[in-house]
Amino acid sequence: MKILTTVKKVVDVELNIRVNDGAIVEDGLQYVINAWDENGVETAVQLKENNSAETTLVSIGGDDNADMIKKCYAMGIENGILIDDPALANADSSVFAKVLQKVYEKGEYDLIITGKQAQDTDNGQAGIMLAEYLNIPCVSNVVAIEVMDDSHVKVSRLGDAGTEIVELELPAVVTVSDSINEPRLPAMRGIMMAKKKKIETMDLSALGTSIDDLGGADLQSEVVEYMQPEARKSGQKFEGDAAEITAEVVGLLSNEAKVL
Amino acid sequence: MNPLLMSLLLIIGLGIFGRTMYYKIQLLLALGPVDPANRFNNIVERLKNLVILAIGQKRLVGRKREWIAGIMHAFIFWGFCVLLIRSISLYGEGFVKGFQLPIFGHDGLIGYLYIALKDIMEALVLFMAAYAIFRRAVLKPTRMHNTWEAYFVLVMIVVLMISDLMLDGARYNLITLFNNPDHLYFFNNPKFGSEFIWTPVSVGAASLIKGLSAETTSWVLTIMFWIHITTQLVFLNFLPLGKHFHVITALPNVFLKSLGYPHEKAAVLDLENEAAWEDETLGLNHIHQLNWKQGLDLYTCTECGRCKDVCPAYLTDKPLSLNEFNDDLKAELFNNSANVIKRANLAANLNGNGDAEDIEAIKTQMAELNSEKSLVGDIISEDTLWACTTCRACEQVCPVTIEHVPRIIALRQGQTLMAEAYPKELNVALKGLERNGNPWGIGYDKRADWAEGLDVKTMADDSDVDYLLWVGCAGSFDDRTKKVTTSLVKILQKANISFAILGTEEKCTGDFARKVGNEMLYQMMAEENIATLNNYKVKKIIAACPHCLNTLKHDYPQMGGNYEVIHHTEFIDQLVKSGKITLNKSFEGSLTYHDPCYLGRYNEIYDQPRSLLNSVAKDGLKELDRHGKESFCCGAGGGRMWMEETIGKRINNVRAQEIVDKKASTVAVSCPFCLTMIEDGMKELAQEENVKTQDIAELVANNMA
Repeated sequence: MKILTTVKKVVDVELNIRVNDGAIVEDGLQYVINAWDENGVETAVQLKENNSAETTLVSIGGDDNADMIKKCYAMGIENGILIDDPALANADSSVFAKVLQKVYEKGEYDLIITGKQAQDTDNGQAGIMLAEYLNIPCVSNVVAIEVMDDSHVKVSRLGDAGTEIVELELPAVVTVSDSINEPRLPAMRGIMMAKKKKIETMDLSALGTSIDDLGGADLQSEVVEYMQPEARKSGQKFEGDAAEITAEVVGLLSNEAKVL
Repeated sequence: MNPLLMSLLLIIGLGIFGRTMYYKIQLLLALGPVDPANRFNNIVERLKNLVILAIGQKRLVGRKREWIAGIMHAFIFWGFCVLLIRSISLYGEGFVKGFQLPIFGHDGLIGYLYIALKDIMEALVLFMAAYAIFRRAVLKPTRMHNTWEAYFVLVMIVVLMISDLMLDGARYNLITLFNNPDHLYFFNNPKFGSEFIWTPVSVGAASLIKGLSAETTSWVLTIMFWIHITTQLVFLNFLPLGKHFHVITALPNVFLKSLGYPHEKAAVLDLENEAAWEDETLGLNHIHQLNWKQGLDLYTCTECGRCKDVCPAYLTDKPLSLNEFNDDLKAELFNNSANVIKRANLAANLNGNGDAEDIEAIKTQMAELNSEKSLVGDIISEDTLWACTTCRACEQVCPVTIEHVPRIIALRQGQTLMAEAYPKELNVALKGLERNGNPWGIGYDKRADWAEGLDVKTMADDSDVDYLLWVGCAGSFDDRTKKVTTSLVKILQKANISFAILGTEEKCTGDFARKVGNEMLYQMMAEENIATLNNYKVKKIIAACPHCLNTLKHDYPQMGGNYEVIHHTEFIDQLVKSGKITLNKSFEGSLTYHDPCYLGRYNEIYDQPRSLLNSVAKDGLKELDRHGKESFCCGAGGGRMWMEETIGKRINNVRAQEIVDKKASTVAVSCPFCLTMIEDGMKELAQEENVKTQDIAELVANNMA
């Protein structure tokens, strides 16, 4: 089985993200692997370990993505592809999905695993769009996966009504939830070995396409401006006699907050 | 007596002993590949250790908790030292009738003093050996495990003493009762009188057989002589076979103990060395990778169990019993001794061989000689390995200075680096460290948020300051510990100290990563911190956490970070002593102190915290039963802070209970881990209202003039 997994480099959401003039202030920011994609990588590696699968990872971005890809090597991913093209700087989920489509077509994979969404944009679209463009089945928010045979997998997804068990015919796309597994830390030995491992880097022409073919010239969505969310107001603390406080709080809730 | 028999006995006895020792030493020298730090430097200090710890038996006699057993052991040991001279004299007697050693065997004052000492020592050793048998059989201290071996050795000691006393008794009777028919030599200097005035015990022994005829007495003398010699040689040959090997190895082991730092520092592993990854030489993965000093430690372990008697893991029912740990490693070492030696010979060939094919062939052969058992898993269980809090209580109490902790760290390195078999629950903290330089994984840019509004400079603002205040992760991110940091800042500002913090440039020192064997992450943290510190040309650091202190002070110099590092309690104490801070004795209530392991046992800082606490407490400081060198760990060291404690009792609860039992109203600490653990323990016991946990910095800040 050939597995393709996708990883996106996102801003570390543990940090304070500051906005200036409608743009994110880059100073002091650091970037990490998208947490859901990390679950996707772990899923792929586990499938490789438990069934004889070959794992390939694709990432879109600049050469500063190399560190992240090498960490995925150290987690157990075998091949890495980096799509590095400046034309993709402002691309949206649809364009990304089309890039992934091209990668898929070059490699003929059986299973595509993506994180269910990215921590930075929280769109949750690329994986699903990719399945649509490829016209293959897709299950999102997957929390468990099991290989049935060479051409079928059984997955559990968390739906609104509970856990749904779905059997999928391959090729297919699954987007994974963070509850599917606990990603391992990159193996130290793997980190050392990964230093020498190559990453296959391609631009769009090497991929046999162009930004126009992918719809990049006429984006379906565009980021217009970033805004800093309003700082949360600090709460109010009441001290003293319980009965008096209750009266005071009820008063405030009905008069000031007007919720009662 | 009988030169032929004497020669035969000595040839057999010493021959077998020599062969055994040759093999044991050969095995030690085959261990490697990495040698311990230089153990032959600073001879004067080493001799001092030898005199105080080994000959003086300091950790046996000087330990309040078990001084009776200490005295017992010490007298047996001292007795043996005294009797060594006597033994040589007896060997001579075996060859030449009336043989006497120079000085000790002549009737000068030294000769007389020696026989008197020998006489009384034999009685004492006899008494102590009898007590030891009684203690094992009747009192049965829990830390000890009774073996036939122990009784056998004690009985041999008894036989040795009785045979020598009876020998002298028979000699006395022959001389005084039967006119010395065999012309036996004895001291009779007119100045000091007859030898027997000086040897009351032997004379007492003589009275037991005074009814025997001259001929029978003469036989008794001969038989006792040969019993003594034979027992001695059997004893000598029995020693290297088991735990009594310490009789031979303890002195060298103490002489060769680690100096400057309480145990062998973890080596900075060369992680870029590909061969090391292939040969699995990073960390301790196979029994042959112990270094020779660690081998000697194993030879020396007496299985006395003092280590587990103070071990927080063992005492809370974790499967870590250090004397069994040693015993298991020793058994594995001996089971593989032939292969370890063969392997070392092959490795020696490897160095002089340039042919790639031959090297591969030798390496394959070497790999085949590895033990079939995995060191962690088959020999030492995972739960055992990860239970250790690295508190060093075991090492502090060990009479023969065995270094337990470095072996545990090395085994963890093997598990983490080579086997990828460390507890996965550590991942969150390790990832947090890697990404944001703190085990909580909180954004690094929030590291200095605590200092908002406190008027604290960062080095980036102004690095022309006298001190860098190293805040540490807990002091920066943990809400409770942030209050400690604030108090410390208040003190420093009050004393007009010129200081700054690194702010968002500070990262975890990597202490816990190193203690769980993640040398890669430790080195990453250390390299980044050292680069930052050296960039600001930092010279003096005040550390607000003993773990940071220990790493900055002892580990960073290995990687080019050399600073004068001082703990905040040391520094505040200096401020008080120099009059920059005045304390009021205004603290009311019953105050006790919990010594942090990394401040006390690792860095010998016991007095300064106490001096401060005594200066603020109206009623003075009330010590816990386990304090100072024998303080009981809070349970958070060695990376345990970031692991669940699922086996046995919780260490922090046990310590908290001890504090509650002492009827303290406040327990002072000086480590953020201890603060968290003890406070959590108090909550668990529903005692947090009755017993407050406070850092010394807080107590000082609240009681400053």
